[in-house]
Amino acid sequence: MAITWKKTMLAASLTLTLAATGCGSNNANNGASSEGASGSASAPASSSDTGASASASAASGEKVDILLGYYSDEKSDSKMKELIGQFTAAHPNINVKTQSAPYGQFYQKLDTQIAAGTAPDVWLSDGVYVMKYAERGAAKDLTDWIAKDLKADDYYGLEYNKDANGRYWGVPQGIQVGVLFYNKDMFDKAGVAYPTDDWTWEDLKTNAAKLTIDAKGMTEGESGFDKNNVNQFGLTFFSITEGWFSVLKSYGGGVLDETGKKSAIDSAQNKQAFEWIVDGMNRGIVTDPVDLKSFQSNTAVFPSGSAAMRIGLYARVLAANEAGLNYDVTVLPKGPDGKRVAPVIANSWVVNAKSSDAKAQAAWEWIKYWATQDDVQKQWAELGEAVPVKKSVANSDVFLKAGAQPANRQAFLDSLGFAQTLDVNAVWEEWVGKFNDNAQKAFLGDTSIDDALKSANTDVQKVLDDFYLNK
Amino acid sequence: MDQTIKQAGRPDSRAFPAARRKRFSSEGRWGLIMVSPYLIHFFVFVAGPLAASLYFSFSDYDMLNPPKWAGLDNFARMADDPLFWRSLWNTLYFAVLFVPLQTLLALVLAVVLNQKLKGLKWFRMAHFIPVISSWTVILYVADAIFNPRFGMANALLTRLGLDPQRWLQDEALAIPLLVIIAVWKGIGYIMVIYLAGLQSVPGDLYEAGEIDGAGALRKFKSITLPMISPTTFLVVIMSTISTFQAFEQIYVLTGRGDMGSAGGPNNAAMVLMLDLYREGFTYMRMGYASAIAWVLFMILFALTMLQLWGQKKWVHYD
Repeated sequence: MAITWKKTMLAASLTLTLAATGCGSNNANNGASSEGASGSASAPASSSDTGASASASAASGEKVDILLGYYSDEKSDSKMKELIGQFTAAHPNINVKTQSAPYGQFYQKLDTQIAAGTAPDVWLSDGVYVMKYAERGAAKDLTDWIAKDLKADDYYGLEYNKDANGRYWGVPQGIQVGVLFYNKDMFDKAGVAYPTDDWTWEDLKTNAAKLTIDAKGMTEGESGFDKNNVNQFGLTFFSITEGWFSVLKSYGGGVLDETGKKSAIDSAQNKQAFEWIVDGMNRGIVTDPVDLKSFQSNTAVFPSGSAAMRIGLYARVLAANEAGLNYDVTVLPKGPDGKRVAPVIANSWVVNAKSSDAKAQAAWEWIKYWATQDDVQKQWAELGEAVPVKKSVANSDVFLKAGAQPANRQAFLDSLGFAQTLDVNAVWEEWVGKFNDNAQKAFLGDTSIDDALKSANTDVQKVLDDFYLNK
Repeated sequence: MDQTIKQAGRPDSRAFPAARRKRFSSEGRWGLIMVSPYLIHFFVFVAGPLAASLYFSFSDYDMLNPPKWAGLDNFARMADDPLFWRSLWNTLYFAVLFVPLQTLLALVLAVVLNQKLKGLKWFRMAHFIPVISSWTVILYVADAIFNPRFGMANALLTRLGLDPQRWLQDEALAIPLLVIIAVWKGIGYIMVIYLAGLQSVPGDLYEAGEIDGAGALRKFKSITLPMISPTTFLVVIMSTISTFQAFEQIYVLTGRGDMGSAGGPNNAAMVLMLDLYREGFTYMRMGYASAIAWVLFMILFALTMLQLWGQKKWVHYD
């Protein structure tokens, strides 16, 4: 009996230890492997004290130490450190410690830090995560400070971080808005006129069909065209932001109602939009989810010259330029009733709800400095990662850059006139996942559009109820 | 050791004269000091987290706010979470295909590579290379074959006049394909364990068999298999546990670094570890994720006990 018990304990500890260690190493490897898979070059996680030297010289006033967190790659990391250096030189009583990491690791660390109460006093949040932190009580309500210190008319996107109760939870650091990218060489070769701002989604598809070329060089309508073996797609399209969101919205549909707590997926408008999408994928004109898995990443299709058009955020300019494409951008097409919607994400500075008043105040100084200083805005715009938040800078040559690709940068600014955030709420990532699971089935023809919308509606509502009814 | 500590700690033990008691307690103290690095490590990094995760599994915990006691809520949620059941089913399906296939093929490979072949070391090394490669590297190799548009497999099928397949994007093919890739990556490691087992079988047993007129097959069945059965037992337990922990491979191969699309089409390749990770770290339901982890442990524990019990029937120790 004693022996059996010992054996039992041995087995238990063996499985537990293996389970525990296995789990640990998986988590540790996860960040690295995901980067490897997406092929992005990123700076190692680093933590340094950029403010120390600047603030050492001036010893007047009460000194405040703040921790500032942001995600970055190598280039943006050194630029950010430079800007922080300039900030501390101008604010000798504030000492800034930084914490930066590549995107994935940054959030992993941030979440555990918030749990442990050691999170940065101010951090850069992906626009779609601001509400996740706000609605769980981790972000500070910035409504009063914004009203006091920032002139709303001077900035793009302050309202993107406003919740249903009119409270503001962050200040945009940079703006990503979606436009239509098109490869001019491919249009020229096919003899198709460039997209105009009169295009509807139907126009886009008609023209995209002429730009869809299979392995034998045939297009739709020619005998022998093989829609399952397409080499050049008319349009590449994936997930929510650079995929279905703007189509659904411009057809008059959408995902959530204005409270953000009710699903509105099962609608006639969404059905019409889905018919447009599914038909395009079925004919081989638009990349379907399986096509996308053939590429290194969803975003690689357009820069690699495998698609004539894409819906793309501003940051996609970098990859397109790096690939040396001859391309331009224009506003996204209209829906059947003339409605036009561009997806927008405002990556934002968020202040820690648990920070002391002095630290929160110092953190706000940094945010104010970021938003109001033309020079900061210009230097960041030079990096080319985001549309500047300050209108005066965005509308200057710093951003519009005459002579540089894409020529029609004005399209990004125009799109902000009809831009909508992605129905962001506390459980955004989860309901997007549920929506995508169902949409994918319809996109691949595994289920009917009606069934997919119904089931997506149920699944998304369940996610919303699970969070909001339990709070 | 147990006794020493117990007696040393007893305040008024009359069983030993004072001098002896003292000697024992100082010995016990030194013993404790000597093992303290391990004990500290155990309590801080193993027992502590385990206790915490057990507590989390009974609470509502979103990582950003302190956990709130929730009784059996998480386990009730699990009972009617279709994704949990799907993940459990997929994990079992994966294990049922993977463990026997890898064990059998590794044994065959080990027997072949246990012969005196020319270039033996090279063959052994070739089979070991996938073991030390990262899953990202494996992804690229697998992708060269199974990419639905550019892969060799579909090129071959088309050449033969057959329909191209979606491979990892096909609900029915996803898990079998993941199993094949996992076997290819893992087989070298199991092979090495088997080689060690094979080489520890005493040669005189074979000689005795030959004298008795046993052929190659007979020798394998009656000498080799029973003699390496402890190795087989170890291999089966290790493979089973590693299957239930499969995370990275599914994440990399089906998601390509994107947690949102990991788990394959329509969650056809969603496994427990991936579900657990997503619940905890993406959807911020750490309490629920901890509950899944404990259920996972219980399943593994039960399986291991079952194997321990079953080994009496087929494992031979001497």
